[in-house]
Amino acid sequence: MHTTFNYIAYLIYLPVVIIVTWRVAYTLFKNSKVFMMDIFHGKDDIALSTNKLFETGFYLLNLGFAFWIMQIATIGSAQEMLERLSAKIGGFFIYLGVMVFFNLYLFFRGRRISKDKGRLAPVPDPLFPKA
Amino acid sequence: MNLLAYIIYLLITWVITVQVGWLFYRNGRVFILHVMHGDVATTDAINRILLIGYYLLNLGYATLMISTWAPLHTWKEVIDSVSQMIGFIMLTLGIIHCCNMLVIYLLGKRNFHLHS
Repeated sequence: MHTTFNYIAYLIYLPVVIIVTWRVAYTLFKNSKVFMMDIFHGKDDIALSTNKLFETGFYLLNLGFAFWIMQIATIGSAQEMLERLSAKIGGFFIYLGVMVFFNLYLFFRGRRISKDKGRLAPVPDPLFPKA
Repeated sequence: MNLLAYIIYLLITWVITVQVGWLFYRNGRVFILHVMHGDVATTDAINRILLIGYYLLNLGYATLMISTWAPLHTWKEVIDSVSQMIGFIMLTLGIIHCCNMLVIYLLGKRNFHLHS
């Protein structure tokens, strides 16, 4: 049984998936700090913590999914390898894009709710409330 | 072959679980402080208990998954199943994490209404 093409496919698939996930998460969560600061009214400890927690969740979900779908049935030729690989990587990228937009939606929603609350009433300090 | 797969799987899963647990431990503290209204002693106690519970739950689950493993014969099968299992564990961790964030969010919302 020839599995050489499988090893090549895995060797291409894993670095591509890991590097792209890392770059996307890095860019997304570097820029989401602004949103977090807005949502938590400039309290940077809770904002940065939330950011980090979202980032961890993002990595877990996406890399977990990437590893989960990695298995490829035995490949016979180079052409077949390319076709399978492009289907897999393309599918994963679409999933990644959906996740990124879902995260963006959460950020915008959080900011809108936070702004609405700020307009209605003065926000008490949630870390050390007075009463 | 199975033994090899178990060793790789356990090493990677334990490293990921411990790293993620440590991240949660450090970043979750602010949220518990928020829910506990700034009571530092209670917060640290709860945080430590949560960390231990998290480790027990996830490492136990990861180790338990070994019992469901099919017999492996070739290197390809080893790579396939190890990657699939690690992916499954990471997905589970991620989903549990999202549920936790939701619970914290709902708790925070309830407290906000109580105090305003």
